[in-house]
Amino acid sequence: MSALLTVRGIDRTFGAGPSAVHALREVTFDVEPGTMVALVGRSGSGKTTLLNVIGGLDRPDAGTVVVDGDEITGLDEDGLSRLRREKVSYVFQTFGLIPVLSAAENVGVPLRLAKADPREREQRVRLLLELVGLADHAQQLPGELSGGQQQRVAIARALAASPRLLIADEPTGQLDAETGLAVMGLLRGVVESEGVTAVVATHDPVMMALADRVIRIADGQVTC
Amino acid sequence: MLRLVVRRARAQWPLLASMLTILVIGATLLGTCTLLITRTSERAVEVSAARADPDTVTATAYIGAVSAENARSVATDAREVLTTSIAPFTTTTTTRASSVLRVLPGVGRGGYLSAIEDLPSRAALIEGRWPRGHETAVLQSTARLLGLRVGSRVHLGAELGIGSNPPVDLTVVAIVRPLQDTGWDRDPLDGTGFDPDPLESTGARSIKAYGPFLVDLGTLLDGGSALSRLEVTARPDLSAPTKRGLDQLTASLLEANRRLTGTLGDRVEIQRVDSPLPRTLLDARNQGQLTSGAVLALAVIGLLLTAIALALTGRLTTGVRTTETGLLDALGTSRRQFIATAAVEAGAVALIAAVLAIPASSFLYAALTHLSPLSGAGLAAGATVTTTQVLLVVAGATTLALLHIGLGARPTGDGGADRHRNRELLARSGLDLLLVGLAAVGWWQLRAQPSAAGYRADTVRILAPALILVAGSALLLRVVPPLLRAAERLALRGRGFTLSLAASGAARRPQALAAGLLICLGCAAATFGTAFGATWQTSQHEQADLSVGTDLALTLTSAPATGQSAQVAAATGGILSPVASQNVVVGQWLGDATSSPRLVAVDTRHSGAVLRGHLDHGRDWGGVTRPLVPSAQVAGVPLPQDSTPRLTGTATGDRPIAVTPQLILQDDAGLRTACTGDTVVLDGRPHDLPGCARVPGLRVIGVALGVLGETEIQHTSGIDVALTLPAAGDRTPWTIRAATPELDQVGGEKVEVSGATIRMTAAVSFADSTPSSRVLVATAFADPGPLPVVVSSRFARDVGAARGSELKIAVDQTPVPVTIAAVVPNIPSAPGEAAMLADVDSLTRALAVRGNVNSPVTAWWVGEPAHPGQASALHLGSVTTRDAVVERLTGSPLRASFPAVLRVLVVAAVVLLLGGVLLHITYDVQLRAVEVARLRGMGVSRRGIRAALLGEHAVVILPLLAAGAVIGALATRLVAPLLIRSDTGAAAVPAAEAHWPWLAETGLLALLVGACALAAGAAVVVQARRADAAHLRVAS
Repeated sequence: MSALLTVRGIDRTFGAGPSAVHALREVTFDVEPGTMVALVGRSGSGKTTLLNVIGGLDRPDAGTVVVDGDEITGLDEDGLSRLRREKVSYVFQTFGLIPVLSAAENVGVPLRLAKADPREREQRVRLLLELVGLADHAQQLPGELSGGQQQRVAIARALAASPRLLIADEPTGQLDAETGLAVMGLLRGVVESEGVTAVVATHDPVMMALADRVIRIADGQVTC
Repeated sequence: MLRLVVRRARAQWPLLASMLTILVIGATLLGTCTLLITRTSERAVEVSAARADPDTVTATAYIGAVSAENARSVATDAREVLTTSIAPFTTTTTTRASSVLRVLPGVGRGGYLSAIEDLPSRAALIEGRWPRGHETAVLQSTARLLGLRVGSRVHLGAELGIGSNPPVDLTVVAIVRPLQDTGWDRDPLDGTGFDPDPLESTGARSIKAYGPFLVDLGTLLDGGSALSRLEVTARPDLSAPTKRGLDQLTASLLEANRRLTGTLGDRVEIQRVDSPLPRTLLDARNQGQLTSGAVLALAVIGLLLTAIALALTGRLTTGVRTTETGLLDALGTSRRQFIATAAVEAGAVALIAAVLAIPASSFLYAALTHLSPLSGAGLAAGATVTTTQVLLVVAGATTLALLHIGLGARPTGDGGADRHRNRELLARSGLDLLLVGLAAVGWWQLRAQPSAAGYRADTVRILAPALILVAGSALLLRVVPPLLRAAERLALRGRGFTLSLAASGAARRPQALAAGLLICLGCAAATFGTAFGATWQTSQHEQADLSVGTDLALTLTSAPATGQSAQVAAATGGILSPVASQNVVVGQWLGDATSSPRLVAVDTRHSGAVLRGHLDHGRDWGGVTRPLVPSAQVAGVPLPQDSTPRLTGTATGDRPIAVTPQLILQDDAGLRTACTGDTVVLDGRPHDLPGCARVPGLRVIGVALGVLGETEIQHTSGIDVALTLPAAGDRTPWTIRAATPELDQVGGEKVEVSGATIRMTAAVSFADSTPSSRVLVATAFADPGPLPVVVSSRFARDVGAARGSELKIAVDQTPVPVTIAAVVPNIPSAPGEAAMLADVDSLTRALAVRGNVNSPVTAWWVGEPAHPGQASALHLGSVTTRDAVVERLTGSPLRASFPAVLRVLVVAAVVLLLGGVLLHITYDVQLRAVEVARLRGMGVSRRGIRAALLGEHAVVILPLLAAGAVIGALATRLVAPLLIRSDTGAAAVPAAEAHWPWLAETGLLALLVGACALAAGAAVVVQARRADAAHLRVAS
């Protein structure tokens, strides 16, 4: 089976001279499709930078990233935007919901970006909210939802455009243990049910246990 | 805590700088308005006094009945009283004096001496030289009547009355002609040179007065003649007056009368000091007060805008500091400590703002005064700092900064957020209602203000515009959210992302509308200011149009001379109309007891070109006066220049009958004058009527014969009078009638025109003793019947008349029937008065057929004059031009502050509005940096982000600008006309109408939209560019 995500020799340095910070050094790994990979490391180890590079939000100084056959390091701005719309989705630690939109409207954002038919969009949104167990909270604003509910909305939104790769940056970092566990279970579930490939940055041992594979990163280097 | 304030200020310097900038703008506006209200207002009175008409700043001591021995000392003392009263201003004085009548050689003749210090500027020397010592100059008319020539000797005998001063012998050394408009009305005989029945004749003897015999002042005062009148006029040099000096002068002049009485004692019988100067200065101060009130009203709008801008800044500051405040709150910081922190910050900002605003307002004030209209009004001034300015700027900055304390001390706890929001909503609703209520009361008060003159700048006039603008903005802001939500619902139906996000952002982000009041009110204030300025300017022009009535009005100081029209036409080069303007009697007048209806008669053939003044319903003067134009012109019989008509007549019976002929002459321009001949006995012999044909182009259009005879005995005489003219006229039939047929003294009247002879016959009864009952009038036109007139709406209202009504008026005691052809708001030159407009040709015909052949013309009106400046050189009377009145109304020192402050208000409103937009957008950039980065994470391109954010700003800002423009337009329509008063403080006539200058307003709105677009565009570009992984990293 060919890898959905191929990362080769990624370097990323912030700043220059003596104060330069080498966030990533010669990072190389592959992720098979339909698997959930836990990216583990201490704060400042380079997890978020690596996820940003994989998602095309940041450009590496060296190396290549291939997502579903697309060499993203060679894409221009529009190409990267298209990649994020069609193949890659994010789940942020702080949920990243648009505060003025309801849960359903937040989930519908990727579908609007894809200019989906309104009727199809509504059906898909309803389905996804049912999937994450929030069908009854569709019209509530993010501010009216709990942290766990917000993160579940964020996951539903990440799945809305049927991405090939789901990137989650410490999705349980802002949640209590019980809620975090539920969110992790949900992520595990959608990976299996939707056939999505997920790369999840986490400190949580439970999350590591739920992952198909764990990649450890320290001082910008993959250690195993 | 102080360290916290300092460090926070370092970290949040852009926000604090914005607050400081807004505070400086507000305080600068306050300081500038303070200087305009105080310094410029004072200076305006000074400049106004310096520029005043010389006749309005003189002081004259009028003294009557001075004995010969006291003449010199009284004149000296009177001069001394005036010069010391006017001190410290330097003064020039002129003295004129007239002696009592003295006996002239011949029976029943008297003459008097006069001395005028500046005689050469008041009379033209026709022959000889100015007199010295025992020499005299006489008027041309006096010389002709007494047969005097240069070199003649004149003996003025004993004084009439009880005087016993010796006679005076003089040598005539000059023949002079009085210049018009140079004060000859103060001469005992008004400068006419002769009066058959002078007011000042002494005793019961009937005497004819001749004079003056103009002598040197020293000769008169020391020459042993008692003075009947002595006038000393002092003219202060007000070229560089000060407020204190003018105040002192006013007080001193009010005391001068008492001082003169005390000084002159019993040396004189009559004395008084009269000066229009105190009234002139009081009027100037009152006008300044009126302007200050208007300036204050505009300043209130500016300060309100500043306060709202500061409130916005405070709100944004609170938003930015939410986390910090929450943390401090959680750490147990008390409310008092929050207030103390806010007070330290506000105090520092207020102090810096005051320090900056004081010089800024001084420099802005200096710059403003160097721009039109203040510079044109002579009010240019350097940068200055006054105590009042400093105090008000500091007070203003502190007060405004207190807003910041209030906002900074607000609790931010999460608990009970809904309750807090509900409470705030309730408070806002209550405030809105209160504002609307106050605005309604203000508007009602403005509508109900009296139309009479008043200068007091009352609170309603000062606050009403600001209240109406704020209340309107607050109300419209209530409407904007539902509209935005409706737009959002529409946008959400589509499948696209950009529009839906923009619409949702606009409709659901409360902070977007936080700036709404400032944007809406700023736009409203700017559009209102622009439209108010245009409305004010238009109203001043309309007031000038109506008050003058034409482009150039030359009001004659004496009856028009034959042929004067050619002289005026040649000098001014415009379209000329003789004008009769006088009060008339209208039946049982029901109007104001203090004013009589006024009749204005013009040449209606040229109404469109000559008359000025706003008409309603799109009417124009040409159309309105069309029914007044006489159907045919009067031809008459030509009277070549220097020709002499001849009158021959006979009368039946054995009693002597005489007639006094009056020829009604018409010149090329239609001016009708009468030439009165000597009384002619109807003895069958021809009698010449010399002196009538002095100019070319005259035509005889009528003849009035006053028939004289014995009236003690009843008898009737048939008269047959023939007037032979040098040339024949056309075949137009003449008509004849008795001037007063109702008295039944003239019958069987007939007229025949044969070649150059006009023959009139009638049977005249002498039963009535009144000579005017036997006047026969033959005219080259028929009785015009009822005179068609256009009346003012006030006249129609007061009299209860309407179109088609017939009335009878009396013009110079001559009854004239009139019929109302139309009703208009106002008659030119008679704003707000009960007045009527007629055709001067028709009027003179109506008067002539009733025996009143004197010219009713009192002025010349000129439309579109080519040389308006040359009219005054004719010395025929006072000249008023529409342009000069417009200049006086708009650019006089006492009013120039108002348009200047209007401009400042518009600029301040635009700057504060743009500042508000910039603040709001900058805050948005900060607040939503992470959110925008996440949108990038979801695959929204930078272009998409830019479009969505720009769309959101456009959806918020454009409706607010539109709402502001609507409020500005409504406020202009509702308030601006009510705020505009005339220069006397009375309601403007014609009533001001709201004027919306489309070009200026479109330009202003385009500027606002463009500037907002630029600000939003720049912010959005930065926002989209900064939406990168760095923000996600920070957030995560």
